[in-house]
Amino acid sequence: MKNVYIYENDFISLLNLIFYLLKNKLKPENIKNEFYTPSLFENNITLTITKNEKNIEWIIKNIGKYSMKSIYYVFLSEEENKELIIYYFLLNALKYRQKIMYHRNLKCVSEVLRISEYVIHESHKMKGFLRFKELEKNILYAEMEPTNDILYLISCHFNSRLKNELWIIKDNRRKIISIHDKKQFIIVKEKDFEISTQKESINEKNIENLWKTFYKTIGIKERKNDRCRMNFMPKKYWKYITEVKKEL
Amino acid sequence: MELQEKLKILADSAKYDASCSSSGSNRKNKDGIGNAASSGICHSFASDGRCISLLKILLTNCCIYDCKYCLNRKSNNIKRAIFTPEEICTITLNFYRRNYIEGLFLSSGIIKSPDYTMELLIKTISLLRNKYKFNGYIHAKAIPGCNPKLLKQLGSLVDRLSANIELPTENGLKLLAPSKESKNISQIMEYVKNNQNKKYVPAGQSTQMIIGATKETDFEIMNQSSSLYDKYKLKRVFYSAYVPINKDNLLPSLEQPPLVRENRLYQADWLLRFYNFKVTDLLDSKNPNFNILLDPKTDWALRHLNEFPKEINTCSYYDLLKIPGIGVKSAKRIITSRKTFTIHIEDLKRMGVVLKRAKYFILCNGKYVTNKDNFKKEYIEKNIVLGDFSHIEQLRLF
Repeated sequence: MKNVYIYENDFISLLNLIFYLLKNKLKPENIKNEFYTPSLFENNITLTITKNEKNIEWIIKNIGKYSMKSIYYVFLSEEENKELIIYYFLLNALKYRQKIMYHRNLKCVSEVLRISEYVIHESHKMKGFLRFKELEKNILYAEMEPTNDILYLISCHFNSRLKNELWIIKDNRRKIISIHDKKQFIIVKEKDFEISTQKESINEKNIENLWKTFYKTIGIKERKNDRCRMNFMPKKYWKYITEVKKEL
Repeated sequence: MELQEKLKILADSAKYDASCSSSGSNRKNKDGIGNAASSGICHSFASDGRCISLLKILLTNCCIYDCKYCLNRKSNNIKRAIFTPEEICTITLNFYRRNYIEGLFLSSGIIKSPDYTMELLIKTISLLRNKYKFNGYIHAKAIPGCNPKLLKQLGSLVDRLSANIELPTENGLKLLAPSKESKNISQIMEYVKNNQNKKYVPAGQSTQMIIGATKETDFEIMNQSSSLYDKYKLKRVFYSAYVPINKDNLLPSLEQPPLVRENRLYQADWLLRFYNFKVTDLLDSKNPNFNILLDPKTDWALRHLNEFPKEINTCSYYDLLKIPGIGVKSAKRIITSRKTFTIHIEDLKRMGVVLKRAKYFILCNGKYVTNKDNFKKEYIEKNIVLGDFSHIEQLRLF
């Protein structure tokens, strides 16, 4: 039987679990979140671990803030074995400490770098591709379906950019919503929050049409290049992009 | 006239400006709306594949000049429009709130006089900044021949200020834009360079030139760029392939804008700014134009094959940069990595090296990656060109 260690589906729980495994020299065959259904040859193990901030501080002290951020990005990804990658990264980081990132020849390091770059990249793209609609009562409302769990990352971005606005961003893939009330934002499950109005403001269609006009006009016909456009703006995002969704 | 139609006219007249970058400024949101992201953010991509990050419009397409290449020249019989400052603010803010754009790119035809046009630009942008507390990115065009006082005002409101040199040489300008004087353009650049700081044009200045409307060679163009970078500390020179809009005896008649040439110029521009190349490394008066089939770096490497292959584990940073298929990022990764381990060929891929190109030019631990007998100019050239070509063909199939 393979031992699969189970953590509650959040980053702090995962780190506490890995800390425990490392300390007790337990080698996991896999680490998965609480929703995981084991196969016939797997055995789920749920340990009762007290969450301790000191464990996290200890990890940061040993691997440095940069590495900590990187494994957080990996955690936000949809990579199949992300937990094991983080485990092996931390195992090696205990040996190489802050120099761990220079060891690109280790698979766990190159994987952490590859995946974290991918997450940062998608988050950066979404900062541009996200489209708000204005609902009644001046509420800005956006939906998206990103590959990675970037709702928190982009909420931080709009928290300072649109700080005097009420806005809501919904991740349709994970069924979670970020709500901003002009002071701060919180992220909640879709089922725990009902949006009072879904009606667009009177001005909305008008502005959308202005934007579509601009979009159509700004492309130079003699330089038309669909392949290039698609490389930069992959089709998987088009569903929510006001100016191109009709082209799908 | 309806706002929709105005926007159509004034975006259409602005679209030939190549610059769209929104990077280099980190203006904060001081209790208003918007901030600048120092990396720049692309919000959309137009049908021509160019990034849209700014609302790129003209304040007006009325113009007192008659520059041959320009859509808005006085003698063209086209619909004219002018935005009011409030209209520009409304569109910008509404687009920005919906995250359509990263900011505003405001240029203008010259109406009445350079000073009058500048004053209109200043009025519009200060309304946006002060009344509406807009802290997003703004790129404005400075109007050549205006009073330096106005340059001072406009520059302290925007993130980037630019003046287009339009054509690569003064002769070209005299031929096609006789009312524009190159000294007026360089005066703006000089002024911005001398005053640039965190509060004045924080994202620096850029310029653009039209490629293929006049007869300059790539060598002349690159020399001009290189001297602009040196003299005025420009952030970017943009190259805009000439799109034949007007018919004129002085203009060439082209079927297609010279897009490959434009691409080669951008590649070479990068080599100048980040790869430590000089114009004379790439071109000379006997060889004044870039190879259309090969990128400038590969072309250079094939002409200097005696300097290759280079050993990945020992050669200097600048030597790494000279290897086709290795960029600034991968070169830096190689340098930091090889302090801790010996780099093998399989590590290179993970560092972002394009092996398809690099493999002909490198040694890894003393070993040439492909067959040593094939280390010949003709062989490598043929393979790279054919490789690129089959790649293009594959793309076309889809």
